[in-house]
Amino acid sequence: MLEIKDLHVKIAEEGREILKGLSLKLPKGEVHAIMGPNGSGKSTLAYVLAGREDYEVTKGDILWNGASLLDMEPEERAAAGVFLAFQYPIEIPGVASLTFLRTALNAVRKERGEPELTTPDFMKRVKEKAGKLGIDMEMLKRPVNVGFSGGEKKRSEILQMEVLEPTLCVLDETDSGLDIDALRIVADGVNAMRAKDRAMLVITHYQRLLNYIVPDKVHVMVDGRIQKSGGPELAQQLEQSGYAEYQGKAA
Amino acid sequence: MEGKLPISEGSEGLAEAERPEGTRAPARKGEALGRRDMNVAVLKTKAEQALSERFAGVAEQLPGGADVLEVRRRALGRFEALGLPHRRIEAWKYTDLRNLMKDALPPILDDEVSVSAADLAAALGPLSEIDADRLVFVDGAFRPELSQLDANNDVAGSPLGAALNDKGDTAAADLLRLDGRDDDAMLALNTAYATDGVVLAVAKNTKLDRPVLVVFARAGDEPHFAAARNVVSVGDGASATLIEAHVTLPGAAKQAQTSTVTELAVGEGAAVTHVKWTVEAGNAMHLAHWLVDVGAGADYRAFQLTCGAALARNGLTVTFKGEGAKIDLSGTFLARGSQHVDTTLLVDHAVPACVSRELFKGVLEDTARGVFQGKVIVRPDAQKTDGKQMAQVLMLSPDAEFDSKPELEIYADDVVCGHGSTSADLDEGLLFYCRSRGIPEAQARALLIESFIGEAIAKVEREDVREALTLLARQWLDHAAQA
Repeated sequence: MLEIKDLHVKIAEEGREILKGLSLKLPKGEVHAIMGPNGSGKSTLAYVLAGREDYEVTKGDILWNGASLLDMEPEERAAAGVFLAFQYPIEIPGVASLTFLRTALNAVRKERGEPELTTPDFMKRVKEKAGKLGIDMEMLKRPVNVGFSGGEKKRSEILQMEVLEPTLCVLDETDSGLDIDALRIVADGVNAMRAKDRAMLVITHYQRLLNYIVPDKVHVMVDGRIQKSGGPELAQQLEQSGYAEYQGKAA
Repeated sequence: MEGKLPISEGSEGLAEAERPEGTRAPARKGEALGRRDMNVAVLKTKAEQALSERFAGVAEQLPGGADVLEVRRRALGRFEALGLPHRRIEAWKYTDLRNLMKDALPPILDDEVSVSAADLAAALGPLSEIDADRLVFVDGAFRPELSQLDANNDVAGSPLGAALNDKGDTAAADLLRLDGRDDDAMLALNTAYATDGVVLAVAKNTKLDRPVLVVFARAGDEPHFAAARNVVSVGDGASATLIEAHVTLPGAAKQAQTSTVTELAVGEGAAVTHVKWTVEAGNAMHLAHWLVDVGAGADYRAFQLTCGAALARNGLTVTFKGEGAKIDLSGTFLARGSQHVDTTLLVDHAVPACVSRELFKGVLEDTARGVFQGKVIVRPDAQKTDGKQMAQVLMLSPDAEFDSKPELEIYADDVVCGHGSTSADLDEGLLFYCRSRGIPEAQARALLIESFIGEAIAKVEREDVREALTLLARQWLDHAAQA
């Protein structure tokens, strides 16, 4: 269970408060969506969950399986099962995707007390998952995300997620920049990972993605707080009415 | 303005602002009087005096007959007239040798120190794994017992010392003479004192599969100054890989000064890979210069790895002699502590339709200082020139310093030339991305630094050499290379 309690976060450098008392409960086995307009703090929440240092938590806590994530380094969070699929995946020139995947997998397995995978086992795991995502093995010999199209980058994020087998998946605007075919492939990948011991948080601006990844719950986030929570039908309503009603409320 | 640029993007000759006079404490009394560009009495530094005076003591023992000696004497005269290069000489702007070379160590002829093959292999590290013809020089003298030349090979490599003694006097003098380079004090100094090195002529249309590895090792426990000269030619249509290694054996003196000059003539349509492996130790001052002429349609690829010396200076002058040639100069320099490493290039597009590429990558820690100067001249009739240059440095400490000075002198109008220079710390976004995937910070840093250098190493086409370079870089990053 992910439990976010009255979370207040500001940007470390500017001191501007972005999250203003955000609370959320996400039980294992469920998929929740966070929807909100630009500037509502969605990406900040994603980064804070993963442990990015540019943000300062001034109040509140984030508990994952009862332990506070705030005390953990990003790599410790990854070992504890946290995975963030980036809105803008980073290019790493000079590091082949396969090398990167293997380094990451071995690092988290070591932290989790599991043995390193042998090369054949590793390759088998990657090939199988890459195939389903329509990722060519040749592409994985290229440096991480370098020269990848927008869609390739997002699929590469999902591949990393599938290979690392996290238990808390945070997807930040995974639908942005995807055409309808790529969206379907990515959504299939995410749906295949739904499991009873895995929690997933899907952050999106548009309702479109939620046609393919149907959430158990939808939270409306405006001005650094959850303004309303409901079932999947809430996403449909938002598509009709927009965020204006909540923005008025926040102001 | 101290001229430090912790972060700069795309600098264009602005890496170091000229220091106002008087802001730098005088290094020693009399410096003001000693400036060569002022028309006042020239005061020799202690090092200059020693280099000048000691010549008489060794002149008769240096290899070569009367004509060779005359070439040496004349060169010494040039050195005496010019003095050690200093910061007012553009090519030495950031490596003020007059100031940095406080004293000169005594020249060495041959110390006959015993060196085992195992010691040599240890000093060569990953490079010793490469299957190559070998010529080994220890403390300035050829060591046949450590060298291996495949009898079936077409390599006509021989030591310069013997050649200077055995060849007819005029031919020997020609070997050592550097025409048209009278204005370079360090080349002159090398000519005066050179004891040995390799003389290698690869015959026309000969394809050498095995690289030729020329090793210069420091071994003796007495601090000394050693000068080496290599004279290499690769005939028309021939191909060869030449690796020049400068290493330190365990037990060698901490102090050392070495000067190496390599002259290379690449024939028409020839293909040459030229690697310089400088893995020094202790308080070594390493002064090197390559002079390369590239013939029409030739393909010349150079890579220089430099680490470990207290002061390393790599001059690399490449002149296009014929149309349609391609050069690729790249390298990586790694420095920590108070090490100073200077790469100064001069690419002379003297003829039309040639292509030049330069990519140098540095990693600087602690208070290390890196220097990159890349001058590209495109002569008036060198139309269709295509030149690109990039120098990038990772500054892993706020106290490190990188001075970058790209210089394009273009006199032709139909050319494509570009350059760039960056220096920055590791990208925080990259680091976070790696860590968010579970890779611990130290490992993520190592991965990113290695990949940064790797972009330059990737320019080396031979896999065995590329692997040796990668391993050495990794050892340096693990600090293991620093004995």
